[in-house]
Amino acid sequence: MTATDDERDRDAQIDRWLVGRARDGDPAAYEELIRRHRDRIYRIALRITGDAADADDVTQEVVIQLWTALAGFAGTSAFTTWLYRVVVNRSLDHRRRHRPQVEPRESDLAPVAGPERSVVAGEAVRAGLAAIARLPETQRVPLVLCQIEGLSYAQAAAITKTSEATVRGRLARARATLLAEMRSWT
Amino acid sequence: MTETLACGRATAPLVEQVAEGRGQVLDPHQARCPHCRAALGEIERLWAPVRAVAAERPEAPPSLVESALRRVRGSGGDVEYGRIETPQGHTRVAARVVVALARHLAAQVPGVEVALGRLATEGHRPAGELVPDVEAGVAGGSTAVQVTLAAAYGQDLQALGERIRTVVARGVREVTGLEPVDVTVHVDDVFD
Repeated sequence: MTATDDERDRDAQIDRWLVGRARDGDPAAYEELIRRHRDRIYRIALRITGDAADADDVTQEVVIQLWTALAGFAGTSAFTTWLYRVVVNRSLDHRRRHRPQVEPRESDLAPVAGPERSVVAGEAVRAGLAAIARLPETQRVPLVLCQIEGLSYAQAAAITKTSEATVRGRLARARATLLAEMRSWT
Repeated sequence: MTETLACGRATAPLVEQVAEGRGQVLDPHQARCPHCRAALGEIERLWAPVRAVAAERPEAPPSLVESALRRVRGSGGDVEYGRIETPQGHTRVAARVVVALARHLAAQVPGVEVALGRLATEGHRPAGELVPDVEAGVAGGSTAVQVTLAAAYGQDLQALGERIRTVVARGVREVTGLEPVDVTVHVDDVFD
């Protein structure tokens, strides 16, 4: 379901109110802020790290550290833009720290399980996650933000501090890479 | 699949078409072109696992987030209980339960945009975190709750406060058995 502009405005207004109170030291406001965004924090971490245990770690780290990091939130962008940037960066750092060998070059994407077998066995999600996890970082991040989480090109560009054109280009390459890998499985 | 189909169309736009969920929306050329329709069908098939990932919406494990929030709160936030005596024994209700309940109840009242709950603060723990009136809360099964909220613009705030008081008092009483002796409503902001 896509949120309307009115719903997005209202959500942003609520976030601003909660952020203001949390920065003034109101723990109840912080908890509500986390409650509103915890599932997306978790999902972005899961899709970028490609591993549930890593997503657990990243989610906990973000929840704990955001409380103090809020002091550094200038409020010039939407809270969600800032939050998702923190989650993306922490997920990438976590993955580099714990599984530095996982990051493949674009040229050495080797096939894993055959999609026919996986999909037929009802494991489409697992097959998709495996393929996404093998994308290079620069392709994986826009794919997770736009294709999987449904954010706009403008939002993804703000989160990754790039241009919309860059996001579009990287997303197109990510889609092509995924299709090539899926095809190599057949 | 080649970059250009036999009909002269490039495949990249077809990939975008499928990835953006428009694979079934054919333009006039595609509607009569077997090359385009075959390519779209093949891309749809290959794209299915990615679509399955996007359709899945896993939620953060609640215990995981709660554990992290407990570390943020530090120790001491969860120790106060309300106590309801019965001839067969007693029931203890953690202060956090009352707070969460009050917040949830208040947030459901029409006109409330967002609500935060806390137990009455005056004379109790600094920052007012989760502390009931200790004398009344523990010994007498009573509790005092404060609800801080942002309301929708253009309504009678006094009437809103009364509605919240009624809903919160009744809900806390029914669910916990504690008697809400005081429900303070603090309207902190109004949203246009």
